[in-house]
Amino acid sequence: MNHSGARGAPGGLGLRRSHWIGLGIALLCLAVIAGVLIYLSPVLALLDSRPAVPVRGVPAPAKPPPPLASSQRINVLLLGSDNDQKFQQNALLSQTMIVVSIDPRTHQVTLLSLPRDLWVDIPSHASAKIDLAFAQGGAPLARATVEKAFKIPIHYYAWIGLNGLVRVVDRLGGVDVDILHPVLDDNYPNDFSDSGYGTERVYLAAGPQHLDGRRTLQYVRSRHGDLLSDFGRSIRQQQVLLALEQRMAGMDLVTAIPTLAKDLKGHVKTDLDLVRLTQLALFMRGLHGGDVRQAFVTPYVHDATSADGQQILVANWPAVHAYMRQLFGSDLLP
Amino acid sequence: MRRVMAAILVTVTALSAGCSSSGVASRDPGKVVMPITRVTVPGRLYATKARTLYRFSGTRLTAMLSGIKAKDPAVTPDGNRLAVAQLNAQSSTILLGDALGQNRHTLTPSSAAEGPLWAFAPALSSDGQRCLYLTDRGKQPSSPQNLRPNDLGIWIMDTASGQSRRIVAPTAYTGGDSDPVFRPGAADQLLYTTYLYGGTPLQPVARLSWHSMRTGAHVYLSPDQARNFQPAISPDGRFVAFVQATAAGDDLEVMPLAPAYNRDPQPYPTDAAVLLESGMVSEPVWAPDSSAIAFLKLVNGSFDLFILPVSSSGPAVRATGPAEAVTHGSFLDADSRLAWSA
Repeated sequence: MNHSGARGAPGGLGLRRSHWIGLGIALLCLAVIAGVLIYLSPVLALLDSRPAVPVRGVPAPAKPPPPLASSQRINVLLLGSDNDQKFQQNALLSQTMIVVSIDPRTHQVTLLSLPRDLWVDIPSHASAKIDLAFAQGGAPLARATVEKAFKIPIHYYAWIGLNGLVRVVDRLGGVDVDILHPVLDDNYPNDFSDSGYGTERVYLAAGPQHLDGRRTLQYVRSRHGDLLSDFGRSIRQQQVLLALEQRMAGMDLVTAIPTLAKDLKGHVKTDLDLVRLTQLALFMRGLHGGDVRQAFVTPYVHDATSADGQQILVANWPAVHAYMRQLFGSDLLP
Repeated sequence: MRRVMAAILVTVTALSAGCSSSGVASRDPGKVVMPITRVTVPGRLYATKARTLYRFSGTRLTAMLSGIKAKDPAVTPDGNRLAVAQLNAQSSTILLGDALGQNRHTLTPSSAAEGPLWAFAPALSSDGQRCLYLTDRGKQPSSPQNLRPNDLGIWIMDTASGQSRRIVAPTAYTGGDSDPVFRPGAADQLLYTTYLYGGTPLQPVARLSWHSMRTGAHVYLSPDQARNFQPAISPDGRFVAFVQATAAGDDLEVMPLAPAYNRDPQPYPTDAAVLLESGMVSEPVWAPDSSAIAFLKLVNGSFDLFILPVSSSGPAVRATGPAEAVTHGSFLDADSRLAWSA
């Protein structure tokens, strides 16, 4: 056997080796990219990556999101809707509206609940309850309505169907909540009935307990037995939001997020981009109890009846705006 | 390409920033798990998991009342009579049986003219002859078109005759009152939690209430604009353990009780209550010999059963050792009362 050829051509062999190494690295990179994409594909499916197409009559977002590296405040509008079969899927009311405001400078998060029956000017539409904005123009109109009424720049939105909440909670293994009052509702809408129009009796004892998804939904949604009605419900919604945040803080998000995202397809939508989403998730994991401020506009609204006979809430807008200045300082829109 | 880069950046960031968990959020194992070194439970201590009733005694665990979805067990001090709320699809009733849960009969109806009924939280007198419980009996019929409150009031029943009457009417649209207990040694007195709204703007409030069935007197033992709930009275009737909600969590507290009250004590005794254990706790109950308080506590995402040894021989209650875990990662029903007998 003549091995001299192999020994006699070191330069050629070296070149081939470097090619192989380069090819190997390239394949490895591709494999990593493919793996990451497969891993994150369920998450990517939830992201509303369409560029903000101007909707006729709907103002564009008042302010672009702050750059990633900045320490400016970020405001996310959380929207929640009934999205079972008894509702038109393209015209859902937003039963829940919460502005989540993250201030990296102070390491504080403010949760501001907006009452669904609040009477507001909806841009390019007649005045109506604020929950109608989402039904009439989706997230862009809901965003524009909140910006106009409250002067809060909304940088992103996140929408969840109420049945999506059930899935989130169940996927996280439930949430631990100190139920503030016994919840009794003899006419709770049974979303899980065949028609979607049935009712069921609900009882949740007061006090600390572990809730599964269905009972969490009952807790945040029931209002018939609550003297504070929608305000009471807002308090409970914020409470569950905080409990979810605490639950997620103890989870292995690397493995949980793709599964969670897969479950939530069709039940969650957001225009947060992936990097910002991760940035916010990491920020939230570092929060402590005292870092979260809960806010409600209840003291500045009163009951009224609209011209067409609806039971509505009317705001004392100067007082509301003074309260917004107290919450958001100079970060408000002019 | 931008999306690919973002995905890689996110994954790298998440991994490098320690997105993986500290492992604190456990999953329900679907059964009651005891620690390797089991705590010896004196007497018989009852709790529920997934609506199955369990009895802890010594180091043994026994599932009881097969086929019954049980909540809120209650026992007489001697353990000879056992009551539970039986959960049905849209109603619940109170069952009363012997120590083993046998020979049981239904005390309360599952429905009446006003519609299906709830009944929860039975509490037996020391002789088992009377039973306090919660029910929405007496409510007005309600429909989606004509909504009516169905808050829970406190009722008392003579277990032999089945005669019952309401002794505390709830405030409408508060959820009603909860956690009724007899005061040992003072057969006409009971404690319970009153749920209300207080402050500006209105906020949920829970107040400890003392009530005399003899005089009809009602006195609050805790202030407005606070949340104190789930009273459990010591077997000698001198102290009450309860849960106090704070910004940091739900703490277990203990305070002494006066022999009787004719007006709200000032300052409220809860202001000077003794903290025994901090954290998210619920459903305290005393050992029949006053030597310990059992409660459920949230640990790593699971409510588990703990026993805290205490001394109540002096004017105040003090812990005599650390709380010991009877269960571990068991996800017991924290909305269901505990019961403890000899």
